[in-house]
Amino acid sequence: MILDLHTHSIKSDDGRAKVENYCKWIRKKEIPLDGFVLTEHRQYDSESDYRALEDEYNLLILKASEVETDYGHVLVFGVNEDLLHSFDFANIRLPIQTVLNASKENGAFAAPCHPGRKRVGLFSHYARSGPIADVHTVEVFNGGSIPGEDQLSVEQAAIYGYRGFGGSDSHVVSRIGYCATKFERDTITTVEDLVEELQSGSFSPISLKPEPKNTSIET
Amino acid sequence: MAESSGSVNIAEVRAEWIGVEFDWAEFIIDKDAMIQWASACGETDERFIDPSHSDFQAHPSFTTHCMSGRLFPKNFPQIGGGFGIDGGKTVTAHLPIRAGSKLTAVTTIADIFDKTGRSGTMVFIVQRMEFKDETGALVSTVDWKMIKKA
Repeated sequence: MILDLHTHSIKSDDGRAKVENYCKWIRKKEIPLDGFVLTEHRQYDSESDYRALEDEYNLLILKASEVETDYGHVLVFGVNEDLLHSFDFANIRLPIQTVLNASKENGAFAAPCHPGRKRVGLFSHYARSGPIADVHTVEVFNGGSIPGEDQLSVEQAAIYGYRGFGGSDSHVVSRIGYCATKFERDTITTVEDLVEELQSGSFSPISLKPEPKNTSIET
Repeated sequence: MAESSGSVNIAEVRAEWIGVEFDWAEFIIDKDAMIQWASACGETDERFIDPSHSDFQAHPSFTTHCMSGRLFPKNFPQIGGGFGIDGGKTVTAHLPIRAGSKLTAVTTIADIFDKTGRSGTMVFIVQRMEFKDETGALVSTVDWKMIKKA
């Protein structure tokens, strides 16, 4: 089962994609995704109900969150009421330890995203302040990375023994599925299933970026 | 919301300033200006460029060029340095705007938030202009984001 674990819709302040348009794009472009996770910035969208879209497009649509910490951005899967009361999701200076601890205590799964970004990613913070003991999984493939960033993520994740997953970090429709995560299990249907599979470690990151068009001119 | 962005406490700024009205203006909607704007946008729909059309009206984005007299309320705290950069506008068209209409616009601070990214910490200040026609009906809302380095 292939899921894009990192997407943003118009619910995020910088998101330009409507969820239904993601669905249409996936089907029109025959992107091999079985679903995607909406990870809206600094919030958890507890209102939106995408079940009708799931049925219409035969896609799994789950909700999570991307929060901001002193060690960079962190994706939190399995957000629930208890977790929502554990820390302020809008705070851009959350201590990463708070996010990791609260997620674990409340049955959620927290993992830093785009850790290879210069200056602001997890591994840049490691270089300045040292590693965090409770990190175990990071997003090694990110669809918004510039050249070299994912390579750094993969290399550093290997050094620290972290598992890696992928997500597009799409903010516009055409970017969904650039990176994704392939799970060994074929029957993820709920966010609880997703958390279980992330905890199991039975997944791998994949890149589905379209090949760049050949623009060379023959003379 | 973060406790502080630089030397400014964003939570306090939000609590004090969101919803504060700080500018009031009137705009007479000129037919030629409507056509010029729509044409500049590349609009080809005759409703927006042909004054003889039975449903002639301003292009939905027309109100984005109607500026308030102030960027920020008087005594609004200095966040970061300089004027910042334009983060774009979002327009919601509620009703058609007709030639010759007199619109009144009230400007408020709609939102203030901060976020981190490749460029470091930035503060977003959203200025909202609500345009009403002579009957008091809301015809257009423009949210203008200004981005400042914290």
